[in-house]
Parts: sequence; structure tokens; C-alpha cells
Amino acid sequence: MTGDFKFDTLSLHAGFTPDARHGSAAVPIHQTTSYAFQDTEHAAALFNLEVGGHIYSRISNPTVAVLEQRVAALDGGIGAVATSSGMAALFLTVMALCSAGDHIVSSSQMYGANVNLFQHTLSRYGITTTFVAPNDPQAFADAIQPNTKMVFGEVIGNPGMDILDVPAIGKIANDAGVPLVIDATFNTPYLLKPLHNGANIVIHSLTKWMGGHGIALGGAIVDGGNFDWGQNDRFPTLTSPHFGFQGVNLYEEYGPAAFITRVRTEGMYNVGPCMSPTNAFHLIQGIETLGLRMERHMANTAKMLDFLTNHEGISWVKHPTLPDHPDHEVAKRLMPKGAGSVIACGIKGGRDAGRAFIENVQVATHLANVGDAKTLVIHPGSTTHSHITPEAMVAAGLTDDLLRISVGLEDFDDIKSDFKQALRAASKVGA
Amino acid sequence: MKLHVNGTETFISTGGRDFDASANTLIFIHGSGQSHLSFMLQGRFFANRGWSVLAPDMPAHGLSSGTPLTSIAQMADWHIALMDELGVKTANIIGHSQGGLIALDLAARYPDRVTGLSLVACALAIPVNDALLDMAKNREPAAIGAMTDWGHGPDGHAHDHTMPGQNHLNYGVQMMSANETGALYADLQACVDYTDGPTAAAQIKCPTQVIVATRDKMTPIKFGLKLADALGTTDITTIQNAGHMLPSERPTEVNRAIRPFFAQV
Repeated sequence: MTGDFKFDTLSLHAGFTPDARHGSAAVPIHQTTSYAFQDTEHAAALFNLEVGGHIYSRISNPTVAVLEQRVAALDGGIGAVATSSGMAALFLTVMALCSAGDHIVSSSQMYGANVNLFQHTLSRYGITTTFVAPNDPQAFADAIQPNTKMVFGEVIGNPGMDILDVPAIGKIANDAGVPLVIDATFNTPYLLKPLHNGANIVIHSLTKWMGGHGIALGGAIVDGGNFDWGQNDRFPTLTSPHFGFQGVNLYEEYGPAAFITRVRTEGMYNVGPCMSPTNAFHLIQGIETLGLRMERHMANTAKMLDFLTNHEGISWVKHPTLPDHPDHEVAKRLMPKGAGSVIACGIKGGRDAGRAFIENVQVATHLANVGDAKTLVIHPGSTTHSHITPEAMVAAGLTDDLLRISVGLEDFDDIKSDFKQALRAASKVGA
Repeated sequence: MKLHVNGTETFISTGGRDFDASANTLIFIHGSGQSHLSFMLQGRFFANRGWSVLAPDMPAHGLSSGTPLTSIAQMADWHIALMDELGVKTANIIGHSQGGLIALDLAARYPDRVTGLSLVACALAIPVNDALLDMAKNREPAAIGAMTDWGHGPDGHAHDHTMPGQNHLNYGVQMMSANETGALYADLQACVDYTDGPTAAAQIKCPTQVIVATRDKMTPIKFGLKLADALGTTDITTIQNAGHMLPSERPTEVNRAIRPFFAQV
């Protein structure tokens, strides 16, 4: 490792140097679409990838670049591209690696939109996916085909909290000449840096814990630079001449940065799910306190687990730090500081009791998000996963009584009091 | 492009343009444990401005095969073999760090083949401390980490890059890790063994320039200035607040210094 700054220092400083002209201490919001060229030669140099700089904010922007550089530093990546959302990050990753006729191996236990993208959207464009259980490494190995271009999974599956054994799956993928792409939204680099544990590319929904405030959507793709794209002929998008930029061969000219350069020079150029400078600014403010917040998230989650497992109104509690979780040992090995702040639990009384609980909480908020500083609650079966077929719901471990709790940073005494009164109200409905 | 040099398959970046031996040739020689990628922001820049660019990976580096060369003289001879293979009679040479020692040796022993010499973050000698040498031999990842750390200046450590979103330190680690195991140790040992710098500098007759950085921990500025003195050149560019990895950390300043120098050579 390099003698790099530590996590909390990087969270506050990485990617930003105060500009010489104004010396702004805070990262300025460069609210502009375009950038004045110094002269025609400068413009040509930018368009030919000869020099660094900005052309148009769909492709890059100084404020967004600070965020990208900060996230890359925190994750240990060689570069990052920020996107308008986490879903855009996943789509651009697939687009940079896959073409019609290609194949993906993916965990089956994931956020519904991730599943839908693979199963229903990409399949229309000739990209197929084999879904396998996240805790079955051999299933990943068996599913890899000659046309497989990426193996994909979430470190902490949403909403079932299955834990992906990243080093094991990474070795399987890399041994087969395929990169491991990880959705690290639920863990953040504070709990686990997948790129240091066998993964090659990380995507984030920055909307969640990274930002933490719930005021700005955003995503990021982080390139580990640790996959040899030229080891086989699977990745022509990176090892053959690019359709633009004078036919540049990204693998030869940018080496470890071939993938992330393709994302910017194709994904942002031709699709354009860019992040607004203002959102980047907001997300940077959130990341400044990521370490502190995650510490508190983990502390409050531990208290919440203690409360729920001892409450008579709760029939079961699922979280990877609990010894009865099937992936407990993997979680303990990979994430000793905690396995995220989302808890799944079953409320006695089923669907009606669940609805009553959610409608009675006062401190916690009922919404379709996770990772806010505030405690959030939702009933996945009737909201986030309502569009998934009943069979797929069962496969994803969803039941009518399931409550998903995203534990926030409030004083835990207040959350506990709130949950107590809401559970009391729910017990009257479910009785 | 790829070709065989001394029987070894060799990768040479041409900056995205077809190589033309009849054009004014710039050869970029990389430093210890590096590859052509350390000139990522020079290759395309100069190739698109009328020069024929050659940024080769020495054996066992980057995308080249083979086993590492073990002395600065061997490395200089290897670059001459590369020129011969491509039919390049004379070239301008840019050497970074150890690449500067190679360029120095090459220009001294093959004066008819070199028309101009630009030495970036270099010195008359590059001693390597025993701890780093031991690390390179026995714990290469640790040596790569240490060199990436020491090699970068404030920009790299601030994770601030001229290419939006990129990261100097982590890129440096991955670039060096992509070389064959043992390449870094061979390079560093070659630096340790090279003591002909002062003699070579005194023999050089072609125009020379020296580019130094004020925060260079690996070839501190005072040694870069001694190199300039030994070469008798006044073409010295001092880049403020920059570290050893000048070509990637401060590409604009480096290119701005190199371009007029070679335009008049």
C-alpha cells in the first residue's frame, strides 16, 4: 500500500486542491454546461484525449471530478466516473463491457431494479444473465461461459442481507478471465473496500450512505485498474480501436485506466447520465462525514438488533451480524466493523400489523430509500418489490411480515421509544 | 505497435499515430518499474503535433515480453537496437528518472544517433537505499507502494488529477504491478550500479535540457541542478510544488518545456 492519508482524512480532502485564483476553501459548484477553450489547439487536444480538462459537463465537470476523485481515493481505485444515479452506474458498466450476444453471471439476491435491468432490459438487447445464489461460489464458477463478460453481486444483498464472499467470488471470476463487478452501496468503503478484496470494479448508489442526507441522487463507477483486459480476447471494447478519438486503443494507451476511460468516452458521450454539479457538491458534503456517520450507524444498528430480538412483537430478525444469519461468518470476516445498517425483521400479525407499524412511527420515516442519516422504514412486499413476481419474491426471501429498517443516526433512545409505541399500535391491529 | 527487439516481443506506444521513421522522432524512455504509461499524457500530445513518437516498454515491462535488462548500458544498447529495427537513424530522447540515466548513457556512447536530450526528474546518479532494494527483491508490492508514495508530490497525495476522476497513487501501483516480477529490482540495481553519469555528461555534445521538481524526493532538485551543470546546459525548467512523477502529475508544464526545446533542435 501507499503511504496514503487515512480514511477520514481522505473523506474530507481527497480530490480537491483550492484553486490558485480564488483559494476557495470549500469545493466550488461549477454550475456550467461548457468550458471556454484557450485556443483551437487546446480544444483539439481536449477532444483528442491528449490533455486533461473539461469540454462539456455531460462528459466531465470540475465539481463532479472532485467527487469522482474522492470516491476513487476512498475505494482504492485508479479512477471513477460519477453518474446521475446508481442504476446509471450499473448500466454504463455493463455497456462498457458487454455487447449483444454477451453474458453476465449475477447474484440472484439483489435490489429489484438491478434484477430487472439484467432480466428484462438487457435481455432485449441480446445480453443474457444467469442468476445464482450469492452464497454458492461453485454456482458462479459453473455459470461462467465463454461469452461471460462480468460477474456481478452486491456485498450486502438488498433486501435479504445475504453476504457475497467477495474474495472467493473474485478468485473464481478472475481465474476464468472475467472481472468481478461489485455493488458496494450497502457497505461503503468504510465497511469494506471490495477492490482490495478481489473485486475489479465497484459501483455505488451515492444517494444512500455515501451522501447520507437524502437530498441528492448520484452514482459512481470506480475502476480498480487491477484486471488485465488484454489477457484474452473477451473485451474488444477495451482492446480494439475505439470508434472515436482517432481509433485509440484504450488498453494500450491508458493501461489500468482502459475501462474507466471507456465509460467516460462512450457512456458519458453517447448516453450521458451525468451528475449535476450541485448534486456533486451535496454528495461531497455528505462524504466529508462518512466515517463518523458509519460509526454511529453501526452503533445504533447494534442497539436496534438488541431491541428487536428481545421484543415480543417481533417474530424474527435478520442481520448478518447476528449469529443465526447464514452468512454470519463471512460477514464477520469481511466486515469486522459491522455489516451495514439495514435490518430485516418480521412483525407478528403479518401484513396488517406491518402496515399499522409503518403508519404509526413518528421519528422514523416511511419511504423507499435506505442509508439516510434518518431512520427509515418500509414494507418491501408492497413497495420496492411490488413489481417482482410472487415466485421471485419468495426466491428473494420476501414475506408479508417483512419490515426493512434503515437505522439512522438519531439518539437511539428516541428511535426505541418510537418503535415501542408503533409496535404497541401494531399489536392491537394484528391481534 | 509490437515488434521484435533483440528477439523479444516489444510493445511501443506511438501516441495513437502510425509511426513514420522519416519524421522527427521523439523516444520516451521510462523509469524504474514503470512503462510507456508514465508518458500517457505526452505520447498523444506530441504524436498529434508532427513528431513520430516511440514510447517503448523495456523487456518485462508493460506489454513487452522477455526478461529484465540488468544494466544501464544494456538498456541504452537495447534502445539503439530498437531504433535500428525501425530504421530510425537519429532521434530526440526524453528520459524520466532511470530513463534519464539510460538517455545519458545512450547519448554519450552513440552521439551520432541523438539530436537532443531532455532529462526529466533525473540526476547524474540515482542511488537506491538498501531498504528499498531489499523490498524490491523480496517484497515487491511493498516496494511499489513505497515508490508510488515517495514518487508523487502534493497533487498525487491530494488525489487531484488533470484527467478528471483519475487517481495518481492507485494508478501508479497498478501500472507498476502489471510488470513482470523482478523487473523493478533489476531496474533499481541497474541504477545503483551506474556510476558513469559524470563521465557521460561531459561527453555529450547535443543540445540538452533538464526539468526538475521542487518536491522531488527521489531525485532531489539539487541533484537535478548538478546534472544540468555537468551537461553545461542553461535550459532548466523548475516545476514548483511537484514531485518526481512529473510527466503524469504535471503534464502541461512538462509538455510546455519539452515542445519548444525539441522544436528548435
